Amino acid sequence: MENDGRRKFLGVCLAGASAAAAAAVVYPVFRYLAPRSDQQGSNKIEFAESDLPAGEAKFFEYAGSSAVLVKTSAGAVVALSAVCTHLGCIVQWEKDKQDFLCPCHAGRYTPDGTVVSGPPPRPLAKIPVSVANGKITVG
Amino acid sequence: MALIKRLYNWLDLRIGAKEIVEQELTGYLLPKNINEWYSLGSVLLVIFTLQVVTGLLLLVYYVPDAEKAFKSVTYIMNELPYGWLIRLCHAVGSNMMVAVLIMHMLSTLFMKSYKSPRELNWLTGFMLFTLVQGISLTGYLLPWSQLSFWATTVATNSAAAIPVVGPYLVEFLRGSKLVGPATLGRFFALHVGVIPAVIAGLIGAHLFCLKRTGISTPPFGANTETGTHWSPEHYRYESHPGGIPFFPNYALQDLTSISVYFAVFLAVVFFAPNLLFTPDAFVPANAFQTPAHIKPEWYFLANYQTLKIFPSELLGLSVQAAAMTFLALLPFIDRSPERNPFKRPLFLACFFGGFLLWVGLSVWGHYS
Repeated sequence: MENDGRRKFLGVCLAGASAAAAAAVVYPVFRYLAPRSDQQGSNKIEFAESDLPAGEAKFFEYAGSSAVLVKTSAGAVVALSAVCTHLGCIVQWEKDKQDFLCPCHAGRYTPDGTVVSGPPPRPLAKIPVSVANGKITVG
Repeated sequence: MALIKRLYNWLDLRIGAKEIVEQELTGYLLPKNINEWYSLGSVLLVIFTLQVVTGLLLLVYYVPDAEKAFKSVTYIMNELPYGWLIRLCHAVGSNMMVAVLIMHMLSTLFMKSYKSPRELNWLTGFMLFTLVQGISLTGYLLPWSQLSFWATTVATNSAAAIPVVGPYLVEFLRGSKLVGPATLGRFFALHVGVIPAVIAGLIGAHLFCLKRTGISTPPFGANTETGTHWSPEHYRYESHPGGIPFFPNYALQDLTSISVYFAVFLAVVFFAPNLLFTPDAFVPANAFQTPAHIKPEWYFLANYQTLKIFPSELLGLSVQAAAMTFLALLPFIDRSPERNPFKRPLFLACFFGGFLLWVGLSVWGHYS
C-alpha cells in the first residue's frame, strides 16, 4: 500500500512536471505564431474631403481589414467594412448603380450597407466617421 | 491509467502493439556494461528534431532576400513575442549539435565501436558530421549580418586553393564572383531543403545499420570480451542475451542525458545568449566594409588555423583533406581485432594527441 501511494505520488509529480514543460513550450510558440494586435492598423485615419467626390467610394485598410468610404450623391459620408457578410469577399463599388456588389455571390448593398438582394445575412458593418474642417476622420 | 490500458489493448488487437513493444523496447537487450556515452545518439536525435522545429518556426517570418533578410531576423529577435527564444534555440542548438556530435564520435573512436562489422555505421556517421558542418555553414549566412557575410566570404574563398578548378568552384559555390544575393539564395535552398533531407536520410541509414548489426559491447569492465569475433563469411546480429532491456532501463539513461543536455543548452540560451555572437552579428552585411578579425565558428577554427600555418593554402587544404579521409576510412585502416584502448598504447597516444592538436589549433586560431 505504501509503495502504491508513493508510485501514485511520483506519477502525479511526473505528470505535473510534464504538463508544465509542455506549457512552457506551447505558450511561446503560440505567442510567436499568433497574429499581432499592434499590426491591426491605426485606430484613426484621416482623408481630405476633397479626395472623395460625391457618388464615389474609396477603399482603404482599417484595423487589419478592408474598409470603404463612400460619399452618396446626396453628400452624406459613410464608412463601412468592405467585407461581405456572406462569405467574406470584398465588395465592389458600382458607381453607375450607386450600390455595392459582392462579385462572389452577387450580394447587393445600398451605399449605407443595407442588404438589397442576394445571400448576405447582415448589412455591412458600420465604422464611425466624422467630417470637420474639410477632413474626413474614420475611427 | 485504466483508459490508457484499454487504449493499449485496443491498439494491440489491431496492430500487435505488445509484440512491437516486446521486440523493440522491453525485449531489446543491451550489453550489461553499457555506459552513458551510448546515449549521445538519442541526444543528437532530440537536437536534430529541435533544429527542424525551430527552423520551421523561423521560416514563418524569415525573408531570404538580401534586402530584407537582416531586417526580418531583427524583427524576429526584437519585435515578435518569444522570437528571440526561438532564434536563440536554433543558433545555440546548431553549435550544440556539432559539440555533441564530436563527443559522440570521440566516444565511438575511444570504445572502437567503428570496427568491423560496423564500418557502415561509422561511414554514415562521418557523412552526417560533414553534413552538419555544411548545414551550419550555410545557415550562418542567412541572417545577412557583417559576421555571416564575411565569414562566408572567407570560408568559400578557401576552395580557391584547389588547383585548376578552384576559382570556378568558388564562383559556383557563391553563384557570383563575390558573396551576394545569389549566394543567399543557394545557401538558403541548401540549408532548409537539400541538406536537412540528406541528413534525415542518413540518420535513417545510420539507425538501420545500428539495428541490423546490434549494439556494440563497450570494451571495458569485468569479464568483458574486448576482441571482435565476427567472421566476415556470414551476417550476424550481435545480440546480448542476459543484457539489460532498452525500456525502461536504458530509456531512463537516455532521458537523463537529454535532461543534462537541456540544462546546458538552456543555460547558454538564457544566461549567455551572446556567447556565440560577436558585435558584427548585429550589423547588416555591407559588401564594401570588411570588419577586422573575421573568424569562422569555433568548430572551423582548427581548419582556419591549419590554412594559416602552412606556407601555401593548397598544402593546408591537402593536409586537412588527408586527415578527413584518414578518419573516414579508419575502420578499413585499423583492422586489429583488439577493442580495448588501454591495450593499444599507440592508438591511445594518437587519440589523445589528435584531440589535443585539434583543441590547440582551435585555441591558436581563436587568439591569432
